[in-house]
Amino acid sequence: MNVLFPRDLKGFFKALAEPGARVLAGGTDLLVRLRANPQATANAPEGAGSATLVSLDRLAALRGIVEDSKAETRDAGPGNLHRTLRIGAATTHAELLAHPLVRARLPVLAQALAELGSPPIRNMATLGGNICTASPAGDSLPPLLVLGAEVELASAAGVRRMALAEFILGPGRTAFMPGEVLLAVHVPLPAVGCVQHFEKVGRRSALAVAVVSLAALVRLDRRGRIAEARLAWGSVAPTVWRCPEAEAALIGRTLSLTALSAAAAIVRARVQPIDDIRASAAYRREVAGNLLLRLAVL
Amino acid sequence: MANPSGILSPPRHDALSKAVGAERFAADLAPEGCLHAGAFRPGALLGIAHGRVRGVDAAAALAVPGVLRVLTAADVPGTNLQGIIHKDQPVLCGEVIRHAGDPVALVLATSAEALRAGLAALRADIEPLPGVFDPEAALKKDAPLVHQGRKGGNLLLGAVIEKGDARTALRSAPRVVRGEFSTPVQEHAFLETQCGVAQLLPDGTLDMTVSTQAPFRDRFEIGQALGLDPLRIRVRAPHLGGGFGGKDGATVQCLLGLAALNASGRPVRMAWDREESILAGYKRHAVRLRCALGADADGTLLAFTCRAFYDTGPYAHLGGEVMELGLEHAAGPYRIPHTRIEGRCVYTNNPIAGAFRGFGVAQVSPAFEGLLDELAEQLGLDPLELRRRNALTRGDVNCAGVRLDSSVHLVECLDTLAAHPLWLGREAWQAEAPACTRRGVGLAAVFNGMGYGRGLPDMAIAKVELTEAGDFLVYSGVADMGQGNSSAFALLAAQELNQPPGAVRLLQPDTALCHPSGSSSAGRTTYTFGNALLKACAAMRDKLLARAAMPLLRDTLEGLELVAGAVRHAATGKTLPLAVLARYLSRDDRICVADFLMPVAQDPPDTGRAFPIGFPHLFFAYAAHLARIEVDELTGRVRVCDYLAITDGGRVLDRSCFDQQAQGGVAQGIGFALIEDFQLRQGLIRSRDLSTYLIPTALDVPDTLSLAVEGDEDTGPRGLKGVGEVGLNGPAPAMAAALHRATGVRLRHLPFTPERVLAALKQRKTPSRRRA
Repeated sequence: MNVLFPRDLKGFFKALAEPGARVLAGGTDLLVRLRANPQATANAPEGAGSATLVSLDRLAALRGIVEDSKAETRDAGPGNLHRTLRIGAATTHAELLAHPLVRARLPVLAQALAELGSPPIRNMATLGGNICTASPAGDSLPPLLVLGAEVELASAAGVRRMALAEFILGPGRTAFMPGEVLLAVHVPLPAVGCVQHFEKVGRRSALAVAVVSLAALVRLDRRGRIAEARLAWGSVAPTVWRCPEAEAALIGRTLSLTALSAAAAIVRARVQPIDDIRASAAYRREVAGNLLLRLAVL
Repeated sequence: MANPSGILSPPRHDALSKAVGAERFAADLAPEGCLHAGAFRPGALLGIAHGRVRGVDAAAALAVPGVLRVLTAADVPGTNLQGIIHKDQPVLCGEVIRHAGDPVALVLATSAEALRAGLAALRADIEPLPGVFDPEAALKKDAPLVHQGRKGGNLLLGAVIEKGDARTALRSAPRVVRGEFSTPVQEHAFLETQCGVAQLLPDGTLDMTVSTQAPFRDRFEIGQALGLDPLRIRVRAPHLGGGFGGKDGATVQCLLGLAALNASGRPVRMAWDREESILAGYKRHAVRLRCALGADADGTLLAFTCRAFYDTGPYAHLGGEVMELGLEHAAGPYRIPHTRIEGRCVYTNNPIAGAFRGFGVAQVSPAFEGLLDELAEQLGLDPLELRRRNALTRGDVNCAGVRLDSSVHLVECLDTLAAHPLWLGREAWQAEAPACTRRGVGLAAVFNGMGYGRGLPDMAIAKVELTEAGDFLVYSGVADMGQGNSSAFALLAAQELNQPPGAVRLLQPDTALCHPSGSSSAGRTTYTFGNALLKACAAMRDKLLARAAMPLLRDTLEGLELVAGAVRHAATGKTLPLAVLARYLSRDDRICVADFLMPVAQDPPDTGRAFPIGFPHLFFAYAAHLARIEVDELTGRVRVCDYLAITDGGRVLDRSCFDQQAQGGVAQGIGFALIEDFQLRQGLIRSRDLSTYLIPTALDVPDTLSLAVEGDEDTGPRGLKGVGEVGLNGPAPAMAAALHRATGVRLRHLPFTPERVLAALKQRKTPSRRRA
């Protein structure tokens, strides 16, 4: 297996243009797949031989977290003060978890990352990798969706931005054009008073694929009534699942068990999960609703 | 973890070499220029668990550069049958595959990559046959046969253990509780998968180094299957990276031997990857039990009946013996005058079942403890008190009819639990459950037999040598799979020879140098080999004193003593260094060998006649366990908050090894009870790797508090008994009890997954839907 380590974007795009080349970020998903099927690279022609991997490891442009207060985002989060974090796509989960602004202002994301994989995986795996893998169970995706994150895509031809919700098309499918790479993720910082919550239900406490997960971002008005609710579930649909009806049902109510139970009933009626080796559809449906009730006891 | 008793133990003998990565496991071996061997197991690829082999097409595989040979059943010399007691498992299947992991060909290649490509290029033509996947269905008249022409059909073994008249006693018992219980297949999931290297030497010796629990027995299993003289087979067993029973009996051995016979004298390596380990390795037997327990109104146990079905998969392996242990323990560590315990061990086309820590017993403990809890509830008795009233003590006759003239300290374990703050504070703790959370505290009393049992002499032969350098070398006859027996051997030898720990070195089993001492299994290892070793060391001490008399110019042996590195005459203070003494002696004279045979029950009960070997047992380790758990009402997830294991393992020789056995057993038992979910569909494994077959992580098990109830087992080396297995038998019943306290529902089918727990919570929430 051939691994290239370009040091700048120019070299990177050149390397990526090689036949059969694939982007290697943390490798925690990719190497597992290559072990199962050494010939498999996404765009490798038949008989192309072993994969060429283009590592992001030496690309400074893809790392780091900066606050960008002037940025305009199309899908501003609740109470957005036009402050966003620009997170380099190759930033590791451990780096994100150690960042004071992530911990203080994006607890919904921090909670998800804290349960992602295990410490060694969080040290290697990147936010961009979690997004581009586009797994229905990707732990960072529900938080990023409710936060209104955008992705910044780059190719040799230039840079474009789009909402994360539009970027992820299905399990393992994204809106990448050929030769594109994910450069950064822009995450609006929600207002300080927003309720942020993430919960993952796995079959064990670490190194577990989510059976169901829920990210919630709720803005309350001065009287404690819900002004805006954003809810996103993982592992219950081909991509992260939203339920506008349940969100709407919460508007004007408090985070009470009664209001949340009514929203949970809507969720259970609308969600269409599947059976798999980890859980039955019935369990997922039940728990997708139940997880909302946790917001009453936070 | 800090030892709760505050006793400091010296580090394990193998701690440093393993911590720094210096210890060489079989998996580390890849001799220069070695070939790579791999088995072709087409059933899993084709989705066939039972099928007729119509042909193997090796042409494409042989065309792969680096592929040297493709061997099939026709190339196997000897009987082509392996098995520990029943020889019914082909090394390579020529006619029929009986489970999805059965091998039909063996590929030899010059590199791991070529091997992989060769295996991928092989094609097999397999005609599907109807299969059987449930032991009770397999016993029906028209069920497809796993082995054609067998007199018993799919029944490997049916057996009864009986005492008194249980049916009559049950009919007249004032209180009777009944239930059906089941436990699933469990994967050993050892860190080091099945592996080894082998080479046919110019003198005709087949020289193997294998990750194995039974190197001496392996020679005979390999010899018979491949038609070789066991004397021409040398097996070395370095430290294992885990075994838990799954490396008792041939794994890679026969395939590797066959490969070496066809390798033109080159060394061959075989190492299963995790997927192959799960596909082809031995598992814990899945078991279904229907039991009834009768008692007096005051809680005195009167009668117990049980019918058990053990699913052994397509080959016997140790199925009959595993079931024997299960039946012998099925009624629990209690005094019950009337018992009737029936079992059937049945062939199916599921994966092969075999030995696993808690050998048959982990499958029955949820049943006997579950019924006891239910009885306590019906009688309004404290579950701990009910156990104390009925717990076996020394001199009692146990449920298999054996009078226990061995050490029995279960009552002391229960007393220790009763006085522990985790038990005394249970009501307050349960009442303080946070929002959306139920709390429960559960306990279990368990036991596990030690040794092979009557009819299969449990013997070990220890050899110790005074080296030229003046230190001592112990030739271990029993493999160390990580449980710490070699550390115990080094400690016992150092104590008996009055030497500092560093003066005793240990050689891991090697059939050319060590003496056959049985398998590393059955909680017997330290007990049996330790006793033999103490005898050998005592003989060595006596011999060295006698041999030192001449150089020390003593007319008698009086006043001579063995001290660190020397023989000393106490009165004069004159010493003779052992390195000097060694020079007076030939090598033969510097070696002492002694054996030990485990005692068996005298006057065994006249029952269990289907078990000519292995029934009954005389020695048992006992334990009382407590679990504090939290159940999340929204998800059904269970968190084990605290765990207490109180163990009677005789006198404790090495506190850290003792605690590690308790803690490891509990961790594996928590996995068995809550997390591990081996999924099969029509004999095909759905949980094919460790991303779908989940075992506990460090976050899933609490810091288990291990306490010892010490009471000498008079026959044990320094009073000890084996404690390797008993710890695994407690968590499942303790979890079931705690879950009942938390949810009001008795769960009887393992594993207690969030899905089952959530269903239980719902069932209880809506009284109209409550089940009888």
